[in-house]
Amino acid sequence: MTVSQISVFAQSKPGHLARVLNVFEAAGANVRGFAVSDTGEFGITRFILDRPDIACDALKREGFAYIETQVLCLKLEDRPGELARVISLLAERNENVLYSYSMISTYIILATDNIEETKEILKDAGLRIITQADIEKANAIHAGNED
Amino acid sequence: MPTSSTNELSSKGVSQKQALFEAIKQKDFASFPIFDRSIECMPRKQLRELQLKKLQDQVAYTYQNVAYYRDLMDKSGVSPADIKTLDDVRKLPFTDKTALRDTYPYGLFAVNIDEIIEIHASSGTTGKPIVVGYTREDMQVWSDCIARLVQMAGVVPGDIAQMAFGYGMFTGGFGLHYGLQKLGCAMIPAGSGNTERHINMINDYGTTVLIATPSYAMHICEVGEKMGFDWEKSSLRIGLFGGEPCPPALKAEIESRMHIVCTDNYGLTEVMGPGVSGECLANRFQQHIAEDHFLWEVVDPQTGEPVSEGEEGELVLTPLDKRGIPVLRYRTHDLTRVTCEECECGRTHARMDKVRSRCDDMLIIRGTNVFPSQIEDVLAGIEEVTPHYHIIVETVNGMDSLTVETEVRPDKMTDSFEKMDAMRRRIAEKLKGTLLVGVNVRLVEPGGIERTMGKAKHIDDLRNA
Repeated sequence: MTVSQISVFAQSKPGHLARVLNVFEAAGANVRGFAVSDTGEFGITRFILDRPDIACDALKREGFAYIETQVLCLKLEDRPGELARVISLLAERNENVLYSYSMISTYIILATDNIEETKEILKDAGLRIITQADIEKANAIHAGNED
Repeated sequence: MPTSSTNELSSKGVSQKQALFEAIKQKDFASFPIFDRSIECMPRKQLRELQLKKLQDQVAYTYQNVAYYRDLMDKSGVSPADIKTLDDVRKLPFTDKTALRDTYPYGLFAVNIDEIIEIHASSGTTGKPIVVGYTREDMQVWSDCIARLVQMAGVVPGDIAQMAFGYGMFTGGFGLHYGLQKLGCAMIPAGSGNTERHINMINDYGTTVLIATPSYAMHICEVGEKMGFDWEKSSLRIGLFGGEPCPPALKAEIESRMHIVCTDNYGLTEVMGPGVSGECLANRFQQHIAEDHFLWEVVDPQTGEPVSEGEEGELVLTPLDKRGIPVLRYRTHDLTRVTCEECECGRTHARMDKVRSRCDDMLIIRGTNVFPSQIEDVLAGIEEVTPHYHIIVETVNGMDSLTVETEVRPDKMTDSFEKMDAMRRRIAEKLKGTLLVGVNVRLVEPGGIERTMGKAKHIDDLRNA
């Protein structure tokens, strides 16, 4: 009942994440979820893929430092309070969450040094940028308060 | 019928390789061929006599033909006739790199240019290049020295040797080329660069010997692994390294991953080029000096006075039969120790410890002396990182700051940032314990430290930059 997660040694420098992703693409593995954090000069980038086996083979061949581990993947109900309920459940049983991230990889959060600049780059590339209002609206839909 | 197919060459190469590994394991050094037994195994007393005779001739030749040395010797009141023993070499003036630079290009030449048959130059990264010229005789001595040291490293006539040094003005490329040919090897003058082509050539031509800088050899190894090339099944048997110091951990790593035996040799353009000394397979941390061609001294780098026997100091070399550019007492700035004890390989020529540090690559960090080789040794003892490193020295808030970048080994990755950071801090602690100055450690990905085709650049000193 676990899923495979691939954790790759990450260096905070332009191009590193792209190289990892190119390896996945060339191998034909599709990223379903990922987490990148700002731990400093180095860090760990975590990926969930449809084909972790071929992804690992490709990373190994290319000489990346990585490790495959097993993690849990939960499907939550999309309603206010659901995340709090699940996390509290674990807290009550004294289970410590080391890290957690959301897996719907077609909606991604990005933080960069210059948000405005990044936004322009992505907009120019024709990407759809979600607003706070979009998120609010989505909540409203699920709460049944749509007008 | 001549052997010609790739398959035949490859299986011949693999069995030759296994035989070499076995002979080393059995310490069967007496079975290894020696290029010039009469010279290389000459009793030491006789060797010293030969050296004295050559030194006297060489000093007279230099005095007669090079105005620069004649003036210096006249000023210090020493004449060729004063050289009565080998120790009398100390009466002669030292030569530093600046002498070769100040007399650029031909000021120290002892012969007319029409007697020179080849010219080389050092890279000249710090000022004007240094130009050296070789007479036909010099070229013979040079290729002789190389033929000896490659045989010492296990190369035999009939080997197929692939050059991965750049040719050009650098002495390494042509120096090794001529010497390997003299021994009877087939030279492949591939040159540096185009790594995949190197690997294809090793495979297709049945190459048995690779000549490269250790960092480029490592790169060839890694690229081959990515291409799915099976080094163990390859005919490649020997790596001949030069151009930069080879850290023991790097050598061990290349030997185990490429399934070859690697040695490195020493030399410098100012006294000849490669061929001054080379590693035999019996003593893997030392190199035999070609004593019939080079008189060595080990001196205190500060005072220039000789150190006690077996002590570390700066290597000073006097070539004993150079015709093109005779050089007296050349200060190498390389730190080493020399022993004259017998060697298991049967050679009598003195052995120098491999040069790990130069007097001038010592860093002074907040008043403390730090040698890159110390950092190398600490990293070699840590299993989570590769032997590759890069040192950055900067001024931060008016203070020296030392950063060491080191590569995580691919199989030592964990899923815990905390553990990875603890490992980083542990390496920093170990470095501090040895160097006695605080060090920032930066973990980088495997392959993140540049592999060079020329001399590896381990240090970036950005102070006052």
